[in-house]
Amino acid sequence: MKGFLSGNEAVFQGALRAGAGYFAGYPITPSSEILQQAALHVEENPEFRFLQAEDEIAAAIAVISASLAGAKSFTATSGPGFSLMQEAIGWGHVVEAPCVFFNSMRVGPSTGMPTQPAQSDLLQIKGGSAGDYYPIAFYPNSVEECFRLTVAAFNAAEESLSPVVLLSDAFLSHLYEIVDLDAIEVATVPRKKEPLGKGQRLFTGISHDKMGNTRTSHPDIYQEWLAELKDRHLRVAEKYPLYDYVPCKGSDTLLIAFGITSRVIAPLKERFSLFRPIRIYPVLEEELQRITSAYRHVIVVEGNDGQYASWVECTIHRRVLRVPCLGGSFKLGAIRHHIEEGIRGAQG
Amino acid sequence: MMDRSYKNLLKMHRYPHTWCPGCGIGAVMKNVAMVLSELGWNHENTGVVSGIGCSGRMASYMNFDAVHTPHGRALTAAETIKTVRPDLNVIVLSGDGDLASIGGNHLLHTSRRNADITIFCNDNEIYGLTGGQAGPTTPKGTKTITSPRGEPYSPLRLGRILTHQAPYFYARTSVYHLNHFRTCIREALQWKGFSFVDIISDCIELNGRRLGFKTAHQMFKWFDERFHIVEGTRDHLAEDELGIAKAETELKEAPKPGEPLRVEAEPSKEDLKPLTLKDLQRFDGQEGKPLYVGYKGKVYDLSSSPLFQGDKRMRCHIAGKDLTREIEFAPHGEDLVLKFSVVGRLV
Repeated sequence: MKGFLSGNEAVFQGALRAGAGYFAGYPITPSSEILQQAALHVEENPEFRFLQAEDEIAAAIAVISASLAGAKSFTATSGPGFSLMQEAIGWGHVVEAPCVFFNSMRVGPSTGMPTQPAQSDLLQIKGGSAGDYYPIAFYPNSVEECFRLTVAAFNAAEESLSPVVLLSDAFLSHLYEIVDLDAIEVATVPRKKEPLGKGQRLFTGISHDKMGNTRTSHPDIYQEWLAELKDRHLRVAEKYPLYDYVPCKGSDTLLIAFGITSRVIAPLKERFSLFRPIRIYPVLEEELQRITSAYRHVIVVEGNDGQYASWVECTIHRRVLRVPCLGGSFKLGAIRHHIEEGIRGAQG
Repeated sequence: MMDRSYKNLLKMHRYPHTWCPGCGIGAVMKNVAMVLSELGWNHENTGVVSGIGCSGRMASYMNFDAVHTPHGRALTAAETIKTVRPDLNVIVLSGDGDLASIGGNHLLHTSRRNADITIFCNDNEIYGLTGGQAGPTTPKGTKTITSPRGEPYSPLRLGRILTHQAPYFYARTSVYHLNHFRTCIREALQWKGFSFVDIISDCIELNGRRLGFKTAHQMFKWFDERFHIVEGTRDHLAEDELGIAKAETELKEAPKPGEPLRVEAEPSKEDLKPLTLKDLQRFDGQEGKPLYVGYKGKVYDLSSSPLFQGDKRMRCHIAGKDLTREIEFAPHGEDLVLKFSVVGRLV
């Protein structure tokens, strides 16, 4: 497929390339195009299954269940829908269901500003569901990367046996660029987990031992299980050390930005070094520590009030400057002004 | 000697189970397993799904690939598994709180989509696992720990909700009426499409004792007083009836899609009666004359249009004129004109 494609179209094509066989969703701007494409795709490919669910809760449960039943599955939503899906995401981590949750972010909280772009669901990825879990999340910044990272998200899901989050924003989802998807070569990871109907296993959200027997008062079994889960996720995440680093000679300032914000601030590369994390979670610890150590000022420009900045501070153990782009406003002039003001303040 | 092969379908090594002595859930699980065994359903052709609550624990004692979902989501999970794996039979074992309260929306929509799954609902009219709070099916006036003056609201009538739109299969039975119970299980499992068995069951420890019953058996006798079995197939069940209500198609026939539209060959332009703009002006719909308008070189008879209502003018459209330009600028399409018959051509 070659042509003028939007981010959402590239995500859907990426899912098909990765071998997706099931989609469930509920209409919400700016992700609805994926639901529509799935409905059209079923017309010609009846082996592909599709459900327009009654709400995002059902859509997310359907995606996890389809994965257990044996299909590579995914859903697409935006912030408010992603909130409703958190229950299923937690469950998906416990029952080890590989699948992909695509979240095209818009201004929140709640209904927010439908549908201005934002990048404010980062904390929701990590802490939206109850308990401890270690999600993997990617965030592209171009239509081609939407395609590549969708395949990567499906691969990481199969390897980590868990839901993987693919992020976008209202801007990127509706950004059109010329891409030739047929020319892009990507490797896919096949399904290894046995589908339902092959044994007498129990897939439960209750803490359980390796045989699948529920164990609700055994701290040692729980601790062993959680350590294994964490180890598996961190090992898989290490396979995807995805970032983009553009150093600027002579600059003592590093700008950190991702997704659409990194496109907006690209013209600043003449004056500042730029760092773009593509794997948003788990945070790129080693890379951030190594690269930021060479700079006097570290500034995070993001479409929320300092969510990624707080993760960077925890990682590099020093204060960073924050340039929030709020209410759907990503203006280069305002961002540049904020950056200069921040640097002056830090020097003064 | 009783056939005990159904025990192969239960994880006996997990016994003793978690339920209180006298609880009805054991009877639900055992009888479902017995009928499954008779029908030859096993872990190779069947998947089991359950929700949260005491009754949701049934899945963990059954020798199947079982999915234990978050609270209320069993139906969505079951429907999806059936969609992805049509080769599997899918059954749901859960309770009234899980299916009808927190999962109420999924109950409405999974039944509407007529997912080919069978649901066994342990309907004990209480939230047992959490300590005896009022549930969606708790009868009005019942005292529970969250309704100390008696439940103020009427219960959800599952029988009415699930039989309002065909096709449907709704059976109400009880753990006390064993033969009837097993008949309902068998018929539900064999039904193609969404089938729901509402099993009146007891929770002696956290509901029965508060109601004044000393033993589970006293509760069973109370079920026998409250309900009676109706034979044969019904359209609907009254609230005190145990039986099977089913319908394969809508009771009142829905209107059939109309006959395919007959498309008549359009007469060639030369065969049409030639009319000049001046001729056209005479057909303005007034004084019993037909109402003609011109459009793209043809003349259409709009006499039957309800829009002119006897007037000569309808907004910017004037009867007896060539409206090609007006329709081009109109907020509607040309289809509003093309559906009328052609009576001539403009010359």
